[in-house]
Amino acid sequence: MPETPKSPRKRLAIITTVWRYLSHAEHMGDRFLVGFPLNGRWHRPEMDVVALFVDQKSEGDQSAQRAREFGLKVYPTIAEALRQGGDSLAVDGVLIIGEHGDYPKNEKGQILYPRYEFFQQVVAVFEKDGRSVPVFNDKHLSYSFDKASRMVAASKRLGFPMLAGSSLPVTFRLPDIELPADGVIEEALMVGVGSSDPMDFHALEAMQCMLERRRNGETGVKAVQLIQGPAVWQAGRDGRWSRRLLEAALSRSMSRSGKGLEDGRPQDLTHSGELEALVQEPAAYFIEYNDGLRATLLMLNGAVGDFTFACRVRGLPKIQSTQFLLPVNPNVVYSACLMHKVEEMIASGVAPYPVERTQLTSGILDLCLESKARGNQRLDTPQLNVRYRAPQTSQFCGAPV
Amino acid sequence: MSEPFEISRRALLAGVPAAALLTLAEGRADEPARRPRIAALVTEVRKLSHGEVILDRFLEGFGWEGEHYHPPVDLVALYIDQTPAGDLSRERAARFSRLKIYPSIDQALCLGGDTLAVDGVVIIGEHGNYPRNEKGQTLYPRYEFFKQTVDVFRRGGRTVPVFNDKHLSWNWDWAKEMVDTAASMGFPFMAGSSVPITWRIPSLEMPLGAEIEEVMAVGPGGVDSYDFHALESIQSFVERRRGGEQGVARLQALRGDAVWDALEAGPTSRGGWDPGLLEACLCRSHQLTPAREGFNHVYPTPADMRRMVRDPVAYRFEYVDGLKATMLLLNGLVGDITFAARIKGQAELLSTLTFIGGDHDSQPHNFDPLVWHIAQFMCSGKSPYPVERTLLTTGLVAAGVESLWRKSEWIETPHLAIRYRPNPNSTFRRT
Repeated sequence: MPETPKSPRKRLAIITTVWRYLSHAEHMGDRFLVGFPLNGRWHRPEMDVVALFVDQKSEGDQSAQRAREFGLKVYPTIAEALRQGGDSLAVDGVLIIGEHGDYPKNEKGQILYPRYEFFQQVVAVFEKDGRSVPVFNDKHLSYSFDKASRMVAASKRLGFPMLAGSSLPVTFRLPDIELPADGVIEEALMVGVGSSDPMDFHALEAMQCMLERRRNGETGVKAVQLIQGPAVWQAGRDGRWSRRLLEAALSRSMSRSGKGLEDGRPQDLTHSGELEALVQEPAAYFIEYNDGLRATLLMLNGAVGDFTFACRVRGLPKIQSTQFLLPVNPNVVYSACLMHKVEEMIASGVAPYPVERTQLTSGILDLCLESKARGNQRLDTPQLNVRYRAPQTSQFCGAPV
Repeated sequence: MSEPFEISRRALLAGVPAAALLTLAEGRADEPARRPRIAALVTEVRKLSHGEVILDRFLEGFGWEGEHYHPPVDLVALYIDQTPAGDLSRERAARFSRLKIYPSIDQALCLGGDTLAVDGVVIIGEHGNYPRNEKGQTLYPRYEFFKQTVDVFRRGGRTVPVFNDKHLSWNWDWAKEMVDTAASMGFPFMAGSSVPITWRIPSLEMPLGAEIEEVMAVGPGGVDSYDFHALESIQSFVERRRGGEQGVARLQALRGDAVWDALEAGPTSRGGWDPGLLEACLCRSHQLTPAREGFNHVYPTPADMRRMVRDPVAYRFEYVDGLKATMLLLNGLVGDITFAARIKGQAELLSTLTFIGGDHDSQPHNFDPLVWHIAQFMCSGKSPYPVERTLLTTGLVAAGVESLWRKSEWIETPHLAIRYRPNPNSTFRRT
């Protein structure tokens, strides 16, 4: 007897911390329920969310409503969700969305989202049932680099495709630049905003997706340091980060604070002295790569409201700079960009970009916060010896074809 | 490390003659030896008024291609028509010593003397307290400012480049007279909206010589204001089509339920429009109001649109060469301006967002490329795009207003058989 033909529509399980309006689970999960805009059409993925696990059903929980309307089921455990209540794995893809919800912070200020724990339970089902399917993990793999590395190792061991990370690497860029493949990057600077450790992760991964294209590919990070307060400005004066690159990055910002907020003027924040007045608690994340590249993330809360990047590439006369555009609430179109990549992976069985990008970024963040906790010391990071090659093809929304 | 741009900018700030810098200033060979002096004639300067956002970009500079850029012209004279509460013009004049406010247009252009003393004129007749006529048009005094400018030109026998912000006038005859005057006196004239030159997401251009069959733009806003922006966006794409621009033959404006009836009628042949164009526009929007509570992004049904949109307006018009166009103002459904085109022989529609948005505290960055182009225009005397584009869109706004006034009559527009050739180079912000 031939096997019953498999349904052409893939089945998805979403494992999440909370599902309420404008949570990541909502604006990512709903893309598979109601569709999303793609290249000027309303696109409905050829796949169905069939199972949900929701760790915290707090006020505003929408999971029961979604289950009723879209014919999916909320299960009390991750294993039951993956097996759809049966006795073996019964989905073709898993989305782990461990963002938002009420979770404790550790002494380093990291929110202890249970992504690793969710992932371990997913992997336990894969191992027990003898079959694996593609897994997407939203944002960093874990607050802990060690846990993040174990997640990546499990995906290699069991041989399932894995995609992870922020939406910034795949969102629109203004302008829509990509760094040349195999270019020599001389120095790089990223400007970000928001709290740690949700938003600095986005900024670090946005920078990583630009830098990983450099000559000889990604070779890992040998040391990191996070400094704060007036020392950040002093480091700029000492040449540890480039004010010229900062000017270039801020030239891409659309949301400069300062006098512009009061009376509209498009102020030059970099050279007016205004920046130092606006940013009460600056932070600089210094990253020294194994191949010698030095990169800096400046978190400039109070000065800007967006994410911008600048770098020098050998042989290019102009500084390369862009903004990673985060389209506004409530549409947050960037999450459609990211979910299209998830859809691609589940449909094809191939991750469109390496999970090692997110592994390395998770580690950079974890160790920068370790540096902060240890009095802003520079830390050698032999463990961040993560090597990978970036895809040649641009992966972001609106990339020139 | 030496930086050509850095040297250029710093040196210019320090007052070093630009000509001395030409060897250093990469890409700035278009700078004349003396920095042009500009006069601005403005209805009002309040936070985020067009007067403020344009003047301040000349005064403060703005972020441009990797630097905080200072345009190579000096804004030296200002005539300000109204100074309501919140006026910023006096604060600006006090802080920038080279800028002086004059009590009349004549004196501003002559820097207080008897004869034209500036190298360029910027007319910004948008915002301010001006009366409306019975058709709902705000009677901004752009034509009046232009006329007084021309009087000074005539008196001294010398002309300089003139930029006019937005449409030329609410009154078609006056708009035509403005363009004819510039042509007969031989001075460069540039006008229009910032929407055709802002970022596009995705960043694409209409191929030169494309055979376009039908187009649409969807935006928010009202008649005699944002309709102009959406129309000028349409025009900046379609003027590149095969055969060049030949103008518009007729236009009809719809309002209220008639818009939805047309939408549900189906394609143009049945009195509606290509439904794929509307889908493409809504799918390029970053500000599509969710049709359902609790969902952040859903595609609206026709019933949703009827429920959500306050006072829908459609202008449909036919070009002389047969091209069909629709502009929809869908307040309550969208917050940004999108464009879509069906091109002969291509399965996929061309569509994009003309991006003027951003987050809550975002700056009006669409005025960065506008001021960049104005400054280049003042230096070179060459408009980046023909003023006939804005003459045509000015006529389309007036025809739309007229059709609404006449309860959606088709308006024949033989006066809009305006022929021109576009700039083959893209002028929107893409780097």
